[in-house]
Amino acid sequence: MLDIENLSASYGEAQVLRGVSMSAGKGEVVTLCGRNGAGKTTLLRCVMGLLPYTGRVSLDGNDLARKASYQRARLGVGWVPDDRGTYATLTVAESLSLRVSKDGWPLQRVYDAFPNLYARRASAATKLSGGEQQMLALARVLRMGSRLMLCDEPTEGLSPLLVEQVGAILRQAKEHGVTVLLVEQNLHFAATVADKYYLLAEGEVRPTTPDDKELLTYLGV
Amino acid sequence: MAQHIFNGLVGGSFLALVALGLAVIFGMLRVVNFAHGAIYMLGAFLALSMPSFWWALILVPLVLAAGGMVLERTLVHRLAKLDPLYNFLLTFGLTLIFQDLVKWRFGVQSTPYPTPGGLTGSVDFGAFDFPAYRVFVLAMAALICFGVWFLLSRTRVGLIVRASTERPELTQALGINVGRWVTPVFGFGCALAGLAGVLAAPMRAVHPLMGADLIIVVFAVVVIGGLGSIFGSVAAAFVIGVLQALSEAYLDSALVSQILVYLVMAVVLLWRPSGLFGREESPA
Amino acid sequence: MRRWAILCAVALTAAAGCGGGGPAGSGSGKLSDGKVVFGVLNDQSGVYAQLSGKNSVEAVEMAMADYKAKYGDKAVVKELAVESVDHQNKPDIANAKAAELYDRKAVDAILDVPTSSAALKVADVAKEKKKLYFNITAATTDLTGKACNKYTFHYAYDTYMLANGTGKTVTDQGAKNWYLVYPDYQFGQDMTASFEAAIKKAGGSVVAKDPAPFPNASGDFSTYLLKAPSLTPKPHVLGTMQAGAELVALVKQYNEFKLREKGVGLAVGLMFLTDIHSLTPDALAGTTYTDAWYWNYDLKSREFADRFQKETGTRPTFAHAANYSAAMQYLEAVQATGTDNADEIVKYLEGRTVEDVFLRNGKIRAEDHRVVHDAYLAQVKPSKEVAEPWDYVKVLKTIPAAEAFRAPSADCKL
Ligand SMILES: Nc1ncnc2c1ncn2[C@@H]1O[C@H](COP(=O)(O)OP(=O)(O)OP(=O)(O)O)[C@@H](O)[C@H]1O
Ligand SMILES: [Mg+2]
Repeated sequence: MLDIENLSASYGEAQVLRGVSMSAGKGEVVTLCGRNGAGKTTLLRCVMGLLPYTGRVSLDGNDLARKASYQRARLGVGWVPDDRGTYATLTVAESLSLRVSKDGWPLQRVYDAFPNLYARRASAATKLSGGEQQMLALARVLRMGSRLMLCDEPTEGLSPLLVEQVGAILRQAKEHGVTVLLVEQNLHFAATVADKYYLLAEGEVRPTTPDDKELLTYLGV
Repeated sequence: MAQHIFNGLVGGSFLALVALGLAVIFGMLRVVNFAHGAIYMLGAFLALSMPSFWWALILVPLVLAAGGMVLERTLVHRLAKLDPLYNFLLTFGLTLIFQDLVKWRFGVQSTPYPTPGGLTGSVDFGAFDFPAYRVFVLAMAALICFGVWFLLSRTRVGLIVRASTERPELTQALGINVGRWVTPVFGFGCALAGLAGVLAAPMRAVHPLMGADLIIVVFAVVVIGGLGSIFGSVAAAFVIGVLQALSEAYLDSALVSQILVYLVMAVVLLWRPSGLFGREESPA
Repeated sequence: MRRWAILCAVALTAAAGCGGGGPAGSGSGKLSDGKVVFGVLNDQSGVYAQLSGKNSVEAVEMAMADYKAKYGDKAVVKELAVESVDHQNKPDIANAKAAELYDRKAVDAILDVPTSSAALKVADVAKEKKKLYFNITAATTDLTGKACNKYTFHYAYDTYMLANGTGKTVTDQGAKNWYLVYPDYQFGQDMTASFEAAIKKAGGSVVAKDPAPFPNASGDFSTYLLKAPSLTPKPHVLGTMQAGAELVALVKQYNEFKLREKGVGLAVGLMFLTDIHSLTPDALAGTTYTDAWYWNYDLKSREFADRFQKETGTRPTFAHAANYSAAMQYLEAVQATGTDNADEIVKYLEGRTVEDVFLRNGKIRAEDHRVVHDAYLAQVKPSKEVAEPWDYVKVLKTIPAAEAFRAPSADCKL
């Protein structure tokens, strides 16, 4: 479904990614681990089309090279950014209607799943708590009916109950054939949803498993 | 007192319309359009060549919107990746070109423009009466400001413009073609300035530098309101309009009324560096 | 960006450095460099550009052509040129440009220079460089008062002349109570002081006076117009000292606020033909003001106006005619003395009586270098009485040269 081949990216002189290759099949949850500053967010931004790169990113075999990020979004790539991407000038309800698709979740379903968002639907998104903002970012992508979700540390700062809820949502999405590329530091949480694991280190990516000794030492768990 | 406040609101109307356009453009393009005053001036001069004031009120904003869009497509959009210095050079250069074109075509002299028929009388407010045309100007400005507010806060287009203004990259990643809205927004901002120019023609001197004089105050207004804050710009415009009218009426020093707007700006900036209603720029 | 800034700075310093070059030597008894160069220093793009501006350069060129035609082979001056510079009404620019004209462009006489604050700077430069300066369009009496000097002549008009004509006449006609609005800079302040004095002398009084910002960024004077009818005692007349585009805006708004209907008349301190044209005569109909010259006054002025129109497409203001006259009188002086030495020209001009298209009963006073001449009390006609384009004014009365200007001031020490 998602194929990344030999992708390299840099910020000015500093090369962050050096020939990354990885893939994720339909309905798979793929976890990407790596130390802080390894380049995980950078990789997601490349897939989203927000950063120039060399190499190839393709969706169902179609090269995305010439697609702007809004076109990638319309092709089914959904982004849950690491900073949660909340708007100060939009209310919760407005944030949830920015772009919707018939394949996505109806508003009511979102509100049923996240009662907090329903209660705060008329407030400015930035007035939500950190956890609520995280829910909003996730819900926004669900509304868009994305086929590929790029989730950048979606459980960061969430209470165990909510982490569990996010897990449930990801599993639900997976059952509907949605592919998830999950950047996650919490390996316990990852273990509850992931089908396979990659480790990003020194700008390169290699497959790994959650009980891989080397991975655990590298991450310092 | 009441009449001076009312009169200040009329003066604020012009500031508001021009500032509104400036704010919308800055929000969407991150371009400070120094040519905005010249576009206001062009609005007044274009009004001269229209069959009537009422036609001008409709046609001039349309013409300037079209012109603005062409300008954005051909020149302004190139600024996106450049140092802000180029922003200044281009838009200031355009100002000089527009001014000189008008000087060449109309001369440096003020050109006469009559008060539109039907608005030559006065409106009686009990305590004072006021020229009907000025009441009309205030009503128009209020209507436009309300319209823009409605457009931005209650419509889908407004939603997209607000989102794009606040976080262009994120909005793009959420599936919205932000670039598509840039040109119309620039045109819209120009149309607002042009409309203000048409409204100014019957009551102010129509001359090539009329915009150069106004734009400096408008910049201060936009900074006071908070760069990029649409509500802030409009509110600041009316507040400054009223303060200016009151200072002229009750203070014996022209100097104070002249530097008032800069004083307010300095105080506001010291107290709230991002302006009254501005937000700190998000680092993204 | 940095590199650019440095480049600009270097270029500027270089230019300024060249400006400091030694003064052009002025040998006596002969033309120093074989030619005479005029420098027209005025506003060519701003609020005062139409009333004088580029068309004054045309007027000076007409004088040059007339001089050549008059003297032909006998002309002392074989080569004539005119330099024109835009001072944007800014005193510092006027100062720098005046020095540049005298030093680098070998200008023999600077002409025009509207905006009193700028004009005073140029007078200082003329004094320092010992070069001639005929001021036409600045109004401050300081030019022939505390700031007078040997090389500066004040030509067309001044604040005293305007106030004495308009302030006195309008008060005499029964408008005793005045409300004065003026632009808050040298000219406006001088005008207001002169008007107050003239009004008081004629038995009137100033109810209130308000300085307005200058330049007026908004072009809006409505505050003062709102205030006028509610003053106590209610003023009979609003006296405005605004000029150019500001005057146009103010008069527009005066009509908009219907002050005439509310019993507050309008008197204009300084008005040029071009202002009436901008406003259309109906906006000003009935307004009286003092004029230094009028193009359709008699056949002589009319003949000049016709030629001027052929060159420029419009009728001349008094500033245009005065620039012509000053250039012409300077050339006559060079012709008569055979030199362009400033001291000798001054000696020739002082105390001389002159008569030309602009100067009627003219006299160049030796005491203060005020050039006195007849002035006119004029009234704007309603458009239905305007028989031909630009003929907007009826001359009510001629104010004889001897009465039109103030007596030489004790402040002036040449
Ligand atoms: N806009 C930028 N300009 C320059 N360098 C950047 C920029 N963004 C990130 N970097 C650098 O690129 C490297 C990778 O950053 P990235 O954000 O992709 O890391 P990450 O793996 O997501 O880290 P974290 O776990 O902390 O989120 C870091 O060294 C970072 O300092
Ligand atoms: Mg990251």
